[in-house]
Amino acid sequence: MKNLITIGLPSKGRLKGESISFLEKNNLKPTSNGGERNYFAEIENLPNSKIIYLHAKEIIQRLGDGTIDVGISGLDLLQESSINLQKKIEIKKKLDFGVADVVVAIPNDWIDVQTVADLEEVSFDFRDKKNTRLRVATKYPNLTNNFLVSKGIIQYKLVPSLGATETYPFIGSSEIITDISSTGKTLKDNNLRVLKDGCILSSQACLLISKKKAATLRPFLNSLI
Amino acid sequence: MKSKNYSENIIKIFKKDGFVLSEPDVLLDSDYIIQRSGENFRKLMLTFEDDTGKSMCLRPDLTVASCIKYLKDNSKANSKIFYSGQAYRRSNNLKDKVVNDQLGIEILGSKNKSTDDLKVLKTIASSIEKIKIKNTSIKVSDVSLFQKLIESLTIPERWKMRLKRHFWRPQYFEDLLKRLETNSDVDPEAVELDKKRFTEMKNLDQSKEIASRKVSEILSRFDRKIKDPRSFAENKKIVKIIREFLKINCPINQLDKTLKSFVKKNKLSNSVFKDLSTIKNLSKINSKTIFSTNFGRDIEYYTGIVFEIYNSSKKEIARGGRYDGLLKSLGSKKNISAVGAAINLNNL
Repeated sequence: MKNLITIGLPSKGRLKGESISFLEKNNLKPTSNGGERNYFAEIENLPNSKIIYLHAKEIIQRLGDGTIDVGISGLDLLQESSINLQKKIEIKKKLDFGVADVVVAIPNDWIDVQTVADLEEVSFDFRDKKNTRLRVATKYPNLTNNFLVSKGIIQYKLVPSLGATETYPFIGSSEIITDISSTGKTLKDNNLRVLKDGCILSSQACLLISKKKAATLRPFLNSLI
Repeated sequence: MKSKNYSENIIKIFKKDGFVLSEPDVLLDSDYIIQRSGENFRKLMLTFEDDTGKSMCLRPDLTVASCIKYLKDNSKANSKIFYSGQAYRRSNNLKDKVVNDQLGIEILGSKNKSTDDLKVLKTIASSIEKIKIKNTSIKVSDVSLFQKLIESLTIPERWKMRLKRHFWRPQYFEDLLKRLETNSDVDPEAVELDKKRFTEMKNLDQSKEIASRKVSEILSRFDRKIKDPRSFAENKKIVKIIREFLKINCPINQLDKTLKSFVKKNKLSNSVFKDLSTIKNLSKINSKTIFSTNFGRDIEYYTGIVFEIYNSSKKEIARGGRYDGLLKSLGSKKNISAVGAAINLNNL
Protein backbone atom coordinates (compact mmCIF):
# COMPACT_ATOMS: atom_id res chain seq x y z
CA MET A 1 0.00 0.00 0.00
CA LYS A 2 1.34 3.41 -0.87
CA ASN A 3 2.13 5.80 2.01
CA LEU A 4 1.64 3.08 4.59
CA ILE A 5 3.21 4.13 7.89
CA THR A 6 4.70 1.32 9.91
CA ILE A 7 5.25 2.07 13.56
CA GLY A 8 7.45 -0.02 15.83
CA LEU A 9 6.61 -0.06 19.54
CA PRO A 10 8.36 -1.84 22.42
CA SER A 11 6.72 -5.21 22.92
CA LYS A 12 6.83 -5.41 26.69
CA GLY A 13 7.21 -3.76 30.04
CA ARG A 14 6.77 -0.22 31.15
CA LEU A 15 8.15 1.12 27.90
CA LYS A 16 5.29 -0.58 26.01
CA GLY A 17 2.62 0.92 28.27
CA GLU A 18 4.09 4.41 28.16
CA SER A 19 4.51 4.27 24.38
CA ILE A 20 0.85 3.36 23.94
CA SER A 21 -0.14 6.20 26.31
CA PHE A 22 1.95 8.57 24.22
CA LEU A 23 0.01 7.59 21.10
CA GLU A 24 -3.28 7.83 22.94
CA LYS A 25 -2.44 11.31 24.16
CA ASN A 26 -2.09 12.14 20.48
CA ASN A 27 -5.50 10.74 19.80
CA LEU A 28 -4.16 7.64 18.13
CA LYS A 29 -5.79 4.50 19.46
CA PRO A 30 -4.00 1.20 18.81
CA THR A 31 -6.38 -1.72 18.35
CA SER A 32 -5.32 -5.08 19.61
CA ASN A 33 -7.02 -7.44 17.22
CA GLY A 34 -6.17 -10.85 18.56
CA GLY A 35 -5.38 -10.06 22.14
CA GLU A 36 -2.34 -9.62 24.33
CA ARG A 37 0.00 -11.89 22.43
CA ASN A 38 -0.56 -10.50 18.99
CA TYR A 39 2.43 -8.54 17.79
CA PHE A 40 0.45 -6.57 15.20
CA ALA A 41 -2.05 -3.79 15.67
CA GLU A 42 -3.66 -0.98 13.78
CA ILE A 43 -4.57 2.54 14.65
CA GLU A 44 -8.32 3.06 14.50
CA ASN A 45 -8.34 6.64 13.42
CA LEU A 46 -5.25 6.53 11.21
CA PRO A 47 -5.82 4.53 8.07
CA ASN A 48 -2.74 3.43 6.14
CA SER A 49 -0.88 2.66 9.31
CA LYS A 50 0.15 -0.42 11.23
CA ILE A 51 1.88 -1.12 14.48
CA ILE A 52 4.45 -3.84 15.05
CA TYR A 53 5.48 -4.72 18.59
CA LEU A 54 9.20 -5.46 18.74
CA HIS A 55 12.04 -5.74 21.21
CA ALA A 56 13.24 -2.20 21.94
CA LYS A 57 16.68 -3.02 20.56
CA GLU A 58 15.20 -4.38 17.39
CA ILE A 59 13.24 -1.20 16.80
CA ILE A 60 16.59 0.47 16.10
CA GLN A 61 17.64 -2.33 13.73
CA ARG A 62 14.35 -2.27 11.82
CA LEU A 63 14.39 1.52 11.47
CA GLY A 64 17.82 1.05 9.93
CA ASP A 65 16.74 -1.54 7.38
CA GLY A 66 13.48 0.22 6.56
CA THR A 67 11.05 -2.41 7.91
CA ILE A 68 9.52 0.28 10.07
CA ASP A 69 9.30 4.03 9.49
CA VAL A 70 8.68 5.33 12.99
CA GLY A 71 9.58 3.82 16.32
CA ILE A 72 9.86 4.43 20.01
CA SER A 73 12.97 3.18 21.75
CA GLY A 74 15.63 4.23 24.23
CA LEU A 75 18.40 6.72 23.52
CA ASP A 76 20.80 4.24 25.15
CA LEU A 77 20.00 1.59 22.56
CA LEU A 78 20.33 4.05 19.71
CA GLN A 79 23.72 5.31 20.85
CA GLU A 80 24.95 1.80 21.50
CA SER A 81 24.18 0.75 17.94
CA SER A 82 26.72 0.92 15.14
CA ILE A 83 27.58 4.26 13.56
CA ASN A 84 26.17 3.18 10.20
CA LEU A 85 22.86 2.40 11.78
CA GLN A 86 22.77 5.66 13.71
CA LYS A 87 23.33 7.60 10.51
CA LYS A 88 20.07 6.26 9.12
CA ILE A 89 17.98 7.25 12.10
CA GLU A 90 16.81 10.64 13.27
CA ILE A 91 15.67 11.55 16.76
CA LYS A 92 12.40 13.37 16.19
CA LYS A 93 11.50 13.99 19.78
CA LYS A 94 12.75 13.12 23.24
CA LEU A 95 9.87 11.73 25.27
CA ASP A 96 9.28 12.21 28.96
CA PHE A 97 9.43 8.58 29.98
CA GLY A 98 11.94 5.75 30.11
CA VAL A 99 14.31 8.09 31.91
CA ALA A 100 17.42 6.24 33.11
CA ASP A 101 21.20 6.55 33.18
CA VAL A 102 23.82 4.21 31.81
CA VAL A 103 26.35 4.13 34.65
CA VAL A 104 29.59 2.57 35.85
CA ALA A 105 28.93 0.65 39.08
CA ILE A 106 31.42 -0.95 41.42
CA PRO A 107 31.14 -3.13 44.54
CA ASN A 108 30.04 -1.01 47.48
CA ASP A 109 32.96 -2.18 49.57
CA TRP A 110 35.58 -0.87 47.21
CA ILE A 111 35.66 2.14 49.51
CA ASP A 112 38.91 3.41 48.02
CA VAL A 113 37.21 3.91 44.67
CA GLN A 114 34.95 6.96 44.38
CA THR A 115 35.72 8.41 41.00
CA VAL A 116 36.68 7.29 37.53
CA ALA A 117 40.22 8.48 38.30
CA ASP A 118 40.36 5.96 41.15
CA LEU A 119 39.11 3.25 38.86
CA GLU A 120 41.81 4.11 36.38
CA GLU A 121 44.44 3.52 39.06
CA VAL A 122 42.88 0.26 40.14
CA SER A 123 42.72 -0.93 36.53
CA PHE A 124 46.47 -0.43 36.20
CA ASP A 125 46.97 -2.29 39.50
CA PHE A 126 45.14 -5.23 38.01
CA ARG A 127 47.52 -5.31 35.11
CA ASP A 128 50.73 -4.51 36.95
CA LYS A 129 50.24 -6.49 40.15
CA LYS A 130 47.89 -9.28 39.24
CA ASN A 131 48.77 -9.56 35.57
CA THR A 132 45.11 -9.71 34.63
CA ARG A 133 42.73 -7.07 33.42
CA LEU A 134 39.83 -5.48 35.17
CA ARG A 135 36.71 -7.13 33.79
CA VAL A 136 33.70 -4.99 33.00
CA ALA A 137 30.39 -6.78 32.47
CA THR A 138 27.97 -4.91 30.26
CA LYS A 139 25.10 -4.93 27.83
CA TYR A 140 26.60 -1.77 26.33
CA PRO A 141 30.03 -2.62 24.88
CA ASN A 142 30.27 0.40 22.57
CA LEU A 143 29.16 3.05 25.04
CA THR A 144 31.37 1.49 27.69
CA ASN A 145 34.47 1.38 25.49
CA ASN A 146 34.09 4.97 24.42
CA PHE A 147 33.51 6.21 27.94
CA LEU A 148 36.29 4.28 29.63
CA VAL A 149 38.87 5.15 27.00
CA SER A 150 37.93 8.84 27.11
CA LYS A 151 38.64 8.73 30.86
CA GLY A 152 42.04 7.16 30.47
CA ILE A 153 40.96 3.64 31.42
CA ILE A 154 42.45 1.37 28.83
CA GLN A 155 43.40 -1.69 30.83
CA TYR A 156 40.19 -3.66 31.03
CA LYS A 157 38.32 -6.46 29.37
CA LEU A 158 34.66 -6.44 28.44
CA VAL A 159 32.46 -9.32 29.48
CA PRO A 160 29.27 -9.32 27.41
CA SER A 161 26.17 -9.80 29.52
CA LEU A 162 22.55 -10.36 28.54
CA GLY A 163 20.95 -9.68 31.89
CA ALA A 164 21.26 -9.74 35.67
CA THR A 165 24.57 -7.97 35.14
CA GLU A 166 24.45 -6.82 38.77
CA THR A 167 25.39 -10.30 39.94
CA TYR A 168 28.59 -10.54 37.92
CA PRO A 169 31.02 -8.97 40.42
CA PHE A 170 29.84 -11.35 43.13
CA ILE A 171 29.89 -14.59 41.20
CA GLY A 172 33.38 -14.05 39.86
CA SER A 173 32.41 -13.22 36.29
CA SER A 174 33.61 -9.61 36.36
CA GLU A 175 34.85 -7.01 38.83
CA ILE A 176 32.68 -4.08 37.86
CA ILE A 177 29.71 -3.43 35.58
CA THR A 178 28.09 -0.80 33.47
CA ASP A 179 24.33 -0.91 33.27
CA ILE A 180 21.17 1.11 32.89
CA SER A 181 19.65 2.35 36.11
CA SER A 182 16.60 4.51 36.69
CA THR A 183 16.27 4.69 40.46
CA GLY A 184 19.47 2.95 41.47
CA LYS A 185 17.53 0.51 43.60
CA THR A 186 18.59 -2.66 41.79
CA LEU A 187 22.22 -1.63 42.04
CA LYS A 188 21.88 -0.82 45.71
CA ASP A 189 20.08 -4.06 46.48
CA ASN A 190 22.96 -5.89 44.88
CA ASN A 191 25.68 -4.11 46.85
CA LEU A 192 26.80 -1.95 43.99
CA ARG A 193 27.47 1.76 43.93
CA VAL A 194 27.67 4.24 41.04
CA LEU A 195 30.93 6.17 40.69
CA LYS A 196 30.57 9.88 41.41
CA ASP A 197 31.44 10.80 37.86
CA GLY A 198 30.35 7.48 36.40
CA CYS A 199 27.38 8.53 34.30
CA ILE A 200 28.00 7.36 30.76
CA LEU A 201 24.74 8.56 29.27
CA SER A 202 21.46 10.09 30.43
CA SER A 203 18.90 8.19 28.49
CA GLN A 204 15.19 8.46 27.83
CA ALA A 205 12.62 7.15 25.38
CA CYS A 206 12.76 8.82 21.97
CA LEU A 207 10.51 9.07 18.98
CA LEU A 208 12.73 7.91 16.14
CA ILE A 209 12.24 7.94 12.40
CA SER A 210 13.97 6.46 9.43
CA LYS A 211 15.75 9.36 7.70
CA LYS A 212 14.81 8.01 4.28
CA LYS A 213 11.13 8.40 5.08
CA ALA A 214 11.41 11.84 6.65
CA ALA A 215 9.61 13.62 3.81
CA THR A 216 6.63 11.25 3.52
CA LEU A 217 6.27 11.15 7.29
CA ARG A 218 6.10 14.89 7.72
CA PRO A 219 2.28 15.27 7.75
CA PHE A 220 1.97 12.45 10.29
CA LEU A 221 4.75 13.80 12.50
CA ASN A 222 3.35 17.30 12.40
CA SER A 223 0.14 15.96 13.87
CA LEU A 224 1.94 14.72 16.97
CA ILE A 225 2.50 16.78 20.08
CA MET B 1 58.05 -2.07 -9.93
CA LYS B 2 59.64 0.85 -8.18
CA SER B 3 58.75 -0.18 -4.66
CA LYS B 4 59.97 -3.74 -5.24
CA ASN B 5 63.25 -2.33 -6.43
CA TYR B 6 63.42 -0.18 -3.33
CA SER B 7 62.81 -3.05 -0.97
CA GLU B 8 65.40 -5.27 -2.65
CA ASN B 9 68.03 -2.60 -2.25
CA ILE B 10 67.04 -1.87 1.33
CA ILE B 11 67.18 -5.57 2.24
CA LYS B 12 70.70 -5.72 0.83
CA ILE B 13 71.77 -3.12 3.37
CA PHE B 14 69.92 -4.88 6.19
CA LYS B 15 71.76 -8.10 5.39
CA LYS B 16 75.10 -6.39 4.98
CA ASP B 17 74.68 -4.90 8.46
CA GLY B 18 74.08 -8.33 9.95
CA PHE B 19 70.30 -8.49 10.19
CA VAL B 20 68.73 -11.91 9.55
CA LEU B 21 65.31 -12.48 7.97
CA SER B 22 62.50 -13.30 10.38
CA GLU B 23 59.10 -14.41 9.14
CA PRO B 24 56.55 -13.83 11.85
CA ASP B 25 53.10 -15.46 11.76
CA VAL B 26 50.33 -13.71 9.88
CA LEU B 27 47.65 -15.04 12.22
CA LEU B 28 47.88 -14.14 15.87
CA ASP B 29 45.81 -14.80 18.96
CA SER B 30 43.71 -11.64 19.44
CA ASP B 31 43.65 -11.94 23.21
CA TYR B 32 47.39 -11.78 23.24
CA ILE B 33 47.35 -8.44 21.46
CA ILE B 34 44.40 -7.07 23.44
CA GLN B 35 46.11 -8.03 26.67
CA ARG B 36 48.92 -5.72 25.71
CA SER B 37 47.23 -2.94 23.82
CA GLY B 38 43.93 -2.68 25.64
CA GLU B 39 40.36 -3.47 24.74
CA ASN B 40 39.92 -0.43 22.56
CA PHE B 41 42.56 -1.66 20.15
CA ARG B 42 40.16 -4.46 19.19
CA LYS B 43 38.30 -2.27 16.73
CA LEU B 44 41.49 -1.58 14.81
CA MET B 45 42.27 -5.27 14.34
CA LEU B 46 40.96 -7.58 11.65
CA THR B 47 39.60 -10.46 13.65
CA PHE B 48 37.58 -13.62 13.20
CA GLU B 49 36.64 -16.58 15.35
CA ASP B 50 38.09 -19.97 14.61
CA ASP B 51 36.10 -23.22 15.00
CA THR B 52 36.81 -23.41 18.70
CA GLY B 53 35.49 -19.91 19.30
CA LYS B 54 38.91 -18.46 19.83
CA SER B 55 39.41 -14.98 18.42
CA MET B 56 42.25 -14.68 15.91
CA CYS B 57 43.54 -11.62 14.10
CA LEU B 58 45.75 -10.69 11.19
CA ARG B 59 49.00 -9.24 12.51
CA PRO B 60 48.38 -5.54 13.11
CA ASP B 61 52.04 -4.70 13.24
CA LEU B 62 55.27 -6.46 12.34
CA THR B 63 57.24 -5.32 15.38
CA VAL B 64 54.72 -6.94 17.71
CA ALA B 65 54.48 -10.03 15.46
CA SER B 66 58.28 -10.36 15.40
CA CYS B 67 58.46 -10.10 19.18
CA ILE B 68 55.81 -12.81 19.53
CA LYS B 69 57.80 -15.05 17.22
CA TYR B 70 60.98 -14.32 19.12
CA LEU B 71 59.35 -15.38 22.37
CA LYS B 72 57.70 -18.44 20.82
CA ASP B 73 60.98 -19.66 19.31
CA ASN B 74 62.68 -19.01 22.60
CA SER B 75 65.44 -17.52 20.45
CA LYS B 76 68.76 -16.67 21.83
CA ALA B 77 70.75 -16.43 18.67
CA ASN B 78 69.29 -14.35 15.87
CA SER B 79 68.40 -11.33 17.85
CA LYS B 80 69.24 -8.97 15.02
CA ILE B 81 66.38 -9.50 12.63
CA PHE B 82 64.71 -7.88 9.67
CA TYR B 83 61.23 -8.43 8.32
CA SER B 84 59.47 -7.63 5.10
CA GLY B 85 55.76 -8.16 4.84
CA GLN B 86 52.27 -6.85 5.28
CA ALA B 87 50.54 -5.63 8.39
CA TYR B 88 46.78 -5.35 8.62
CA ARG B 89 45.02 -2.70 10.57
CA ARG B 90 41.78 -0.79 10.39
CA SER B 91 41.83 2.90 10.95
CA ASN B 92 39.34 5.47 12.15
CA ASN B 93 40.19 7.33 8.99
CA LEU B 94 38.58 5.69 5.97
CA LYS B 95 41.26 7.03 3.66
CA ASP B 96 43.98 5.03 5.38
CA LYS B 97 45.02 1.73 3.90
CA VAL B 98 44.12 -1.47 5.70
CA VAL B 99 47.05 -3.40 4.25
CA ASN B 100 50.44 -1.81 4.81
CA ASP B 101 53.81 -2.96 3.56
CA GLN B 102 56.35 -2.91 6.34
CA LEU B 103 60.05 -3.32 6.03
CA GLY B 104 62.09 -3.03 9.17
CA ILE B 105 64.78 -4.16 11.54
CA GLU B 106 64.83 -5.00 15.23
CA ILE B 107 67.54 -5.77 17.74
CA LEU B 108 65.81 -7.98 20.28
CA GLY B 109 67.69 -8.57 23.50
CA SER B 110 69.71 -5.42 22.98
CA LYS B 111 72.57 -5.37 25.45
CA ASN B 112 74.27 -2.09 24.77
CA LYS B 113 71.79 0.75 24.56
CA SER B 114 73.67 3.51 22.88
CA THR B 115 75.56 1.25 20.44
CA ASP B 116 72.38 -0.51 19.35
CA ASP B 117 70.31 2.66 19.10
CA LEU B 118 72.95 4.11 16.84
CA LYS B 119 73.27 0.88 14.87
CA VAL B 120 69.56 0.83 14.05
CA LEU B 121 69.50 4.43 13.03
CA LYS B 122 72.66 4.04 10.95
CA THR B 123 71.31 1.02 9.09
CA ILE B 124 68.06 2.81 8.34
CA ALA B 125 69.90 5.94 7.24
CA SER B 126 72.19 4.01 4.90
CA SER B 127 69.24 2.10 3.40
CA ILE B 128 67.63 5.41 2.59
CA GLU B 129 70.86 6.64 1.11
CA LYS B 130 71.14 3.45 -0.93
CA ILE B 131 67.85 4.10 -2.67
CA LYS B 132 69.06 7.61 -3.41
CA ILE B 133 66.69 9.65 -1.36
CA LYS B 134 68.37 12.91 -0.58
CA ASN B 135 67.85 15.91 1.68
CA THR B 136 66.34 13.92 4.47
CA SER B 137 65.80 15.33 7.93
CA ILE B 138 65.38 13.58 11.28
CA LYS B 139 63.28 14.30 14.30
CA VAL B 140 64.17 12.61 17.59
CA SER B 141 63.08 12.47 21.16
CA ASP B 142 63.80 10.39 24.20
CA VAL B 143 60.64 9.54 26.10
CA SER B 144 62.62 8.50 29.16
CA LEU B 145 63.50 12.16 29.72
CA PHE B 146 59.85 12.87 30.47
CA GLN B 147 59.77 10.02 32.98
CA LYS B 148 62.90 11.42 34.62
CA LEU B 149 61.44 14.90 34.80
CA ILE B 150 58.25 13.64 36.48
CA GLU B 151 60.26 11.60 38.98
CA SER B 152 62.18 14.69 39.98
CA LEU B 153 59.10 16.81 40.72
CA THR B 154 57.61 17.11 44.19
CA ILE B 155 54.05 15.98 43.57
CA PRO B 156 51.96 13.21 45.15
CA GLU B 157 52.91 9.73 44.03
CA ARG B 158 49.58 9.01 42.35
CA TRP B 159 49.98 12.08 40.19
CA LYS B 160 53.41 10.90 39.08
CA MET B 161 51.97 7.53 38.11
CA ARG B 162 49.09 9.09 36.24
CA LEU B 163 51.17 11.53 34.27
CA LYS B 164 53.59 8.78 33.28
CA ARG B 165 50.84 6.38 32.32
CA HIS B 166 49.03 8.86 30.14
CA PHE B 167 51.93 10.54 28.40
CA TRP B 168 50.79 8.48 25.38
CA ARG B 169 47.37 10.00 25.15
CA PRO B 170 48.04 13.68 24.58
CA GLN B 171 44.40 14.68 24.74
CA TYR B 172 43.71 12.92 28.03
CA PHE B 173 47.08 14.09 29.28
CA GLU B 174 45.95 17.67 28.75
CA ASP B 175 42.83 16.92 30.85
CA LEU B 176 45.11 15.61 33.57
CA LEU B 177 47.22 18.75 33.53
CA LYS B 178 44.10 20.86 33.87
CA ARG B 179 42.98 18.78 36.82
CA LEU B 180 46.37 19.06 38.42
CA GLU B 181 46.39 22.80 37.82
CA THR B 182 43.04 23.31 39.52
CA ASN B 183 43.63 20.74 42.25
CA SER B 184 40.35 19.03 41.50
CA ASP B 185 40.98 15.47 42.45
CA VAL B 186 39.85 13.61 45.54
CA ASP B 187 36.49 14.53 46.97
CA PRO B 188 37.05 15.17 50.72
CA GLU B 189 33.39 14.56 51.51
CA ALA B 190 33.39 11.07 50.06
CA VAL B 191 36.54 10.21 51.94
CA GLU B 192 34.95 11.25 55.24
CA LEU B 193 31.86 9.22 54.53
CA ASP B 194 33.75 6.03 54.05
CA LYS B 195 35.94 6.29 57.11
CA LYS B 196 33.12 4.58 58.98
CA ARG B 197 33.04 1.66 56.61
CA PHE B 198 36.85 1.61 56.75
CA THR B 199 36.73 0.87 60.49
CA GLU B 200 34.14 -1.84 59.98
CA MET B 201 36.10 -3.45 57.23
CA LYS B 202 39.21 -3.59 59.40
CA ASN B 203 37.43 -6.29 61.42
CA LEU B 204 36.74 -8.47 58.40
CA ASP B 205 38.91 -11.35 57.30
CA GLN B 206 41.62 -9.39 55.48
CA SER B 207 42.19 -12.06 52.87
CA LYS B 208 38.53 -12.12 51.87
CA GLU B 209 38.09 -11.02 48.28
CA ILE B 210 35.51 -8.54 47.08
CA ALA B 211 35.31 -8.72 43.29
CA SER B 212 38.88 -10.01 42.96
CA ARG B 213 40.37 -7.51 45.40
CA LYS B 214 41.41 -8.49 48.91
CA VAL B 215 39.96 -6.48 51.80
CA SER B 216 43.53 -5.70 52.84
CA GLU B 217 44.28 -4.32 49.39
CA ILE B 218 41.22 -2.07 49.39
CA LEU B 219 41.96 -0.77 52.89
CA SER B 220 45.60 -0.13 52.18
CA ARG B 221 44.80 1.83 49.04
CA PHE B 222 42.14 3.78 50.93
CA ASP B 223 44.62 4.54 53.65
CA ARG B 224 47.27 5.61 51.17
CA LYS B 225 44.77 7.79 49.39
CA ILE B 226 43.68 9.74 52.46
CA LYS B 227 47.27 10.24 53.51
CA ASP B 228 48.47 11.33 50.12
CA PRO B 229 48.30 15.12 50.09
CA ARG B 230 45.06 16.18 48.53
CA SER B 231 46.08 19.62 47.55
CA PHE B 232 49.49 21.08 47.35
CA ALA B 233 50.51 24.64 46.83
CA GLU B 234 52.88 24.24 43.94
CA ASN B 235 50.51 22.55 41.52
CA LYS B 236 50.34 25.51 39.15
CA LYS B 237 54.08 25.81 39.06
CA ILE B 238 54.47 22.09 38.39
CA VAL B 239 52.05 22.19 35.48
CA LYS B 240 53.96 25.13 34.05
CA ILE B 241 57.21 23.17 34.22
CA ILE B 242 55.65 20.18 32.46
CA ARG B 243 54.16 22.34 29.75
CA GLU B 244 57.42 24.14 29.23
CA PHE B 245 59.30 20.85 29.02
CA LEU B 246 56.94 19.60 26.33
CA LYS B 247 57.65 22.70 24.27
CA ILE B 248 61.37 21.98 23.96
CA ASN B 249 62.19 21.83 20.28
CA CYS B 250 65.73 22.52 19.14
CA PRO B 251 68.49 21.38 16.80
CA ILE B 252 70.25 18.38 18.32
CA ASN B 253 73.55 20.19 18.77
CA GLN B 254 71.82 22.68 21.05
CA LEU B 255 70.09 20.06 23.17
CA ASP B 256 72.61 20.16 25.99
CA LYS B 257 72.44 23.90 26.29
CA THR B 258 68.64 23.97 26.05
CA LEU B 259 68.11 21.33 28.72
CA LYS B 260 70.63 22.99 31.02
CA SER B 261 68.89 26.31 30.83
CA PHE B 262 65.50 24.61 31.35
CA VAL B 263 66.87 22.90 34.48
CA LYS B 264 68.39 26.09 35.79
CA LYS B 265 65.36 28.24 35.13
CA ASN B 266 63.05 25.81 36.92
CA LYS B 267 65.47 25.12 39.75
CA LEU B 268 65.55 21.38 39.10
CA SER B 269 68.32 19.06 40.17
CA ASN B 270 71.31 19.16 37.85
CA SER B 271 71.31 15.41 37.51
CA VAL B 272 67.75 15.11 36.12
CA PHE B 273 68.81 14.58 32.53
CA LYS B 274 72.25 13.21 33.00
CA ASP B 275 72.61 10.51 30.37
CA LEU B 276 72.26 12.13 26.98
CA SER B 277 75.11 10.35 25.22
CA THR B 278 72.83 8.22 23.00
CA ILE B 279 70.88 11.14 21.67
CA LYS B 280 73.92 13.27 21.13
CA ASN B 281 75.40 10.44 19.09
CA LEU B 282 72.59 10.89 16.62
CA SER B 283 73.95 14.18 15.41
CA LYS B 284 76.72 12.17 13.76
CA ILE B 285 74.18 10.71 11.36
CA ASN B 286 72.43 13.79 10.18
CA SER B 287 73.31 17.31 11.18
CA LYS B 288 69.78 18.47 10.44
CA THR B 289 68.36 16.46 13.33
CA ILE B 290 65.76 18.22 15.43
CA PHE B 291 65.06 17.24 19.01
CA SER B 292 61.49 17.61 20.27
CA THR B 293 60.15 16.48 23.66
CA ASN B 294 56.57 16.42 22.47
CA PHE B 295 57.38 13.96 19.73
CA GLY B 296 56.86 10.18 19.80
CA ARG B 297 53.81 10.25 21.99
CA ASP B 298 51.62 8.12 19.77
CA ILE B 299 53.08 4.66 20.34
CA GLU B 300 52.89 3.50 23.89
CA TYR B 301 55.59 0.88 23.77
CA TYR B 302 58.52 3.26 23.32
CA THR B 303 60.70 3.70 26.38
CA GLY B 304 63.79 5.54 25.14
CA ILE B 305 64.78 7.20 21.93
CA VAL B 306 62.21 7.66 19.18
CA PHE B 307 62.88 9.01 15.74
CA GLU B 308 61.31 9.72 12.39
CA ILE B 309 63.05 10.40 9.11
CA TYR B 310 61.45 12.64 6.50
CA ASN B 311 62.12 13.17 2.82
CA SER B 312 62.56 16.58 1.25
CA SER B 313 58.80 17.09 1.06
CA LYS B 314 58.49 16.37 4.81
CA LYS B 315 56.78 13.02 4.37
CA GLU B 316 57.66 10.40 6.95
CA ILE B 317 59.74 7.67 5.33
CA ALA B 318 60.99 5.80 8.39
CA ARG B 319 60.39 5.62 12.10
CA GLY B 320 61.57 3.68 15.08
CA GLY B 321 62.75 3.67 18.64
CA ARG B 322 63.63 1.78 21.75
CA TYR B 323 61.01 -0.37 23.44
CA ASP B 324 62.42 -2.09 26.50
CA GLY B 325 59.08 -3.10 27.99
CA LEU B 326 57.27 -4.63 25.01
CA LEU B 327 58.59 -8.20 25.23
CA LYS B 328 57.78 -8.40 28.91
CA SER B 329 54.26 -7.15 28.29
CA LEU B 330 53.92 -9.87 25.66
CA GLY B 331 54.64 -12.51 28.27
CA SER B 332 58.41 -12.74 28.63
CA LYS B 333 59.41 -13.57 32.20
CA LYS B 334 62.50 -11.42 32.16
CA ASN B 335 63.10 -7.95 30.82
CA ILE B 336 64.29 -8.04 27.23
CA SER B 337 65.46 -4.74 25.84
CA ALA B 338 64.86 -4.00 22.20
CA VAL B 339 65.20 -1.31 19.59
CA GLY B 340 63.99 -1.21 16.02
CA ALA B 341 62.77 0.80 13.07
CA ALA B 342 60.71 0.41 9.93
CA ILE B 343 60.71 2.03 6.53
CA ASN B 344 57.43 3.31 5.18
CA LEU B 345 57.43 2.03 1.60
CA ASN B 346 54.17 3.79 0.78
CA ASN B 347 55.77 7.20 1.14
CA LEU B 348 58.89 6.47 -0.88
